[in-house]
Amino acid sequence: MSFVLPVAHALVARKDLPIPAWLFAWGASIVLIVSFFALSAAWRKPKFEQERWHPVGARLSRALLSVPVQILCGAVGVLLLGFSIYAALHGTEAPDRNFALTFVFVTAWLGLPLFSVIIGDVFRPFNPWRAIGRAIGGGFSAIAGQRPAHLTYPERLGRWPAAIGLLAVVWLEVVYGSSGGVAVGLSPDSLGLAALLYSLYTLAMMAFFGVEKWCQTGEIFSVYFGMFSQLGSFGTKDGRLGRRLPLSAATHWATVPGSAAVVIASIASTSFDGAQEGAFKGGIKQVFEWLSEAGLSLTTSLRVTDTIFMALCFVGVGLVYLIGVRGMATVRGAPPLRKLRTGFAHTLIPIAFAYLVAHYFSLFVFQEQAQFTYLLSDPLGTATTDLFGTASSGIDFKLLSANAIWYVQVGALVIGHVVGLTLAHDRATAYWPDYRQAARSQYWMLAVMVAFTCFGLYLLSVANA
Amino acid sequence: MSSKATRLVGGLLVIVVAIVLLVVLKKDDSSSDATSNAGGKVPTIVVEHGKPVGGIADLTYNKGERIHFIVESDVSDEVHMHGYDVMKDVKAGGSVSFDFSASIEGVFEAELEGRKEQILELTVNP
Repeated sequence: MSFVLPVAHALVARKDLPIPAWLFAWGASIVLIVSFFALSAAWRKPKFEQERWHPVGARLSRALLSVPVQILCGAVGVLLLGFSIYAALHGTEAPDRNFALTFVFVTAWLGLPLFSVIIGDVFRPFNPWRAIGRAIGGGFSAIAGQRPAHLTYPERLGRWPAAIGLLAVVWLEVVYGSSGGVAVGLSPDSLGLAALLYSLYTLAMMAFFGVEKWCQTGEIFSVYFGMFSQLGSFGTKDGRLGRRLPLSAATHWATVPGSAAVVIASIASTSFDGAQEGAFKGGIKQVFEWLSEAGLSLTTSLRVTDTIFMALCFVGVGLVYLIGVRGMATVRGAPPLRKLRTGFAHTLIPIAFAYLVAHYFSLFVFQEQAQFTYLLSDPLGTATTDLFGTASSGIDFKLLSANAIWYVQVGALVIGHVVGLTLAHDRATAYWPDYRQAARSQYWMLAVMVAFTCFGLYLLSVANA
Repeated sequence: MSSKATRLVGGLLVIVVAIVLLVVLKKDDSSSDATSNAGGKVPTIVVEHGKPVGGIADLTYNKGERIHFIVESDVSDEVHMHGYDVMKDVKAGGSVSFDFSASIEGVFEAELEGRKEQILELTVNP
């Protein structure tokens, strides 16, 4: 019996061409050469452990962080969330014509990591759940005359709820949404429902543990976008905007338990999405056939299969990291394993970011054209509204040539690799007093990074081949 | 754990990983090249019972070439060439011909729009 895998395209009318073999070879060679030089040109003292914080313009700070601006930003966030849910529930069922799907999964989900790196944690002021939570908390204090009491958050849980949530978001988009038998991707209805449920869950958790606490640990989007903002040089501290050494904030990010799981989940879910129609295609088909022959329906079979492969990605990426950490622990003078495990997690953030850029750069550029033309003018996809006169414009797929996309993809991976190596080496010099031992410990992290970067290149070279 | 035991566990781990990789990265040998655009004949995609005969057809061109193919269908539907956004109706038992220039690079799908059934994967190399 032969099966035809249901093909899904939620939003995408165009897929990237796989990077050609010669570029793959060049990319991998550059990675190895760069790594070799990174080893020999090693510095001996940590450079990134100190933030070197400089507050910027007191007036600007006061204005941007003032209460009215906070309320305004919060209101914009709530409005956008509300409108997305409305469009999802009341707009067209065609995913590519409905404002909600592109706004949530492309503009916000892929755009905010980018903006977080460049200009800092922009999601925080616009976070709709934080805004609602703070408004409710403020209302409570005004009426009851006291601040709301909260449960103590179990510190051991750390960022695990966000790590699992992150996998759940990607699962909803690429597993649940792509497996509808004759799938056209996640239906706007399901997205609307999911957003409502997530809002309820988040507000409940905020009520239990406090708004800020939950944003630091459990609120998926705060934790995820916040993670990327650690790479950049802009942030806030003690109510002031400021500038710091780029990458320096990241060195303190992973001290909360479960942080490693968040960054591993990010790499794993991007890998899965990149591999499902390329590198994993044969394997997925195999398991899918076994399951459907065992009597599961086609849709269930595909969902279960994809879930298994996504879980495999998470375990695989986690294992590679843990092997690297184990290896470092064998070097003389190594700190305890626990400390190593959390101490090097932040070095994977640049890799996670590079994976995002490599896999979604072209999708983002093309789909944003839709976002700002027909999806803005006709957000419900009813073909009856044309708010800005752009309802009939489309996506110009000639905007990026295949070559331009390839260079961006390989460039992102190589740069992510170098930044990851830099952070890892810097951390090693902080942990090992003897720089020779520090350098020795980094053979292990080097192997981890080379593995991730070459795996990333490999995924791009077999994409939908 | 003694160093011997560590090495044993490490070795086992490597074997497990290798096996998993083999299964996971198993080449997909099922994608049959039902349609080939080599040799001058106009490639034809035959649709029976709303599905492409021989699986989803693959056509590959270089940028600037002329893309020309025919869809023969036993069901009435609209054929939508995504990306290029060319849409043509086909009647049950009829056929429809596509002829356009390969101006956009990438991988694109053609679907029976009403059935959401992909019939063609079109690759345009630079």
